[in-house]
Amino acid sequence: MHGAALSMNVPGYEVPLRADDTSLVRRSVAGDTAAFEQLYRGHVGRVHGAILRLVGMDRARAEELTQDAFVRAWQKLSGFRHESAFSTWLYRLGVNTALMDLRGKHDEVAAPDDELEFAAGGEVPFCAGERSDIERAVSKLPPRARAVLVLHDVEGWKHEEIANELGMAVGSSKAQLHRARGLLRRALADS
Amino acid sequence: MNNEFLWRNQMRKQAEAVEPAHDLWPAIAARLSATAASHRRSRRSQLGWLAIAATLVVAGGAGLTAWRWQRAVPLPPVAMTATDAQPVAAQPVVAQPVANSGAATAELTALDWAVPDDPALVASAQNLDSASAQLQDALEQRPDAVFLVGLLNRTNSMRLRLLRKSPNAG
Repeated sequence: MHGAALSMNVPGYEVPLRADDTSLVRRSVAGDTAAFEQLYRGHVGRVHGAILRLVGMDRARAEELTQDAFVRAWQKLSGFRHESAFSTWLYRLGVNTALMDLRGKHDEVAAPDDELEFAAGGEVPFCAGERSDIERAVSKLPPRARAVLVLHDVEGWKHEEIANELGMAVGSSKAQLHRARGLLRRALADS
Repeated sequence: MNNEFLWRNQMRKQAEAVEPAHDLWPAIAARLSATAASHRRSRRSQLGWLAIAATLVVAGGAGLTAWRWQRAVPLPPVAMTATDAQPVAAQPVVAQPVANSGAATAELTALDWAVPDDPALVASAQNLDSASAQLQDALEQRPDAVFLVGLLNRTNSMRLRLLRKSPNAG
């Protein structure tokens, strides 16, 4: 997603060949917003996609959080040390922005891990689903269970990373995943 | 193939980039501009306070030098003259900061702050003049800051005392 030329899917925009991320980051740190716009156009799809899944396909909220993520990226850019790819740094910042929003919501009652396992109803056979069915079913999961499922099964994070970001025990992350998978498989079976 | 593999394989296919339905850049650019403007205001304010802090240090140092000099070389009392500085009034500065600041500057120019004959006091006099000028600048930025008026009065008062110690004064 970073490096040479990129396609732009937003109608009405044609993105010219852009310089590599490293020089764009350096120019951005110096205050060049045109360079930062190129970074935005090159990476917004990945960042927005991850945020969209984490907020349960709420498009308006995802766009707000994506804006927040890029503003935060601009503010923190001088702290980027080029030790990892810029795309990875930005993606993590975007995910963290969505998780901060999730942590700010207290409408979900935390349930004990054993109750979560029980609610999941044990092992459920694999159930195939259309992409849109899966998206719809994921969006209906409780927020924390959805976050764990999206981060682990879709984004490929480890339980340790998820637990760290969500401020929970590794065991809780595993229990939430078990619960989410059970709920999701049942939803897919019913659809 | 087991359930886990099939499941993970199916879920990983969801991990695609999704472009927003709207171009978010104009809104982001506007927020970046607002952030930059706020940062500049904050920086200007910080510089203003740094200038005030520096002024206090300078004025304090000059005052200390003058005080030491006064204790070391007691001089006969000097009669008050017509050129004795009038304290800067707080209220007019608050009401009309720019006009009064200009008047204060003009007053300083008219007094022409005589340089003390004693070389030991020349540096102190210059420091106090500089401190006074900086305080007037600060007052232009913060005309509501009453404590700055007090500092300006004290600085000008110290400068006058220094002037009176000069053998040629009055």
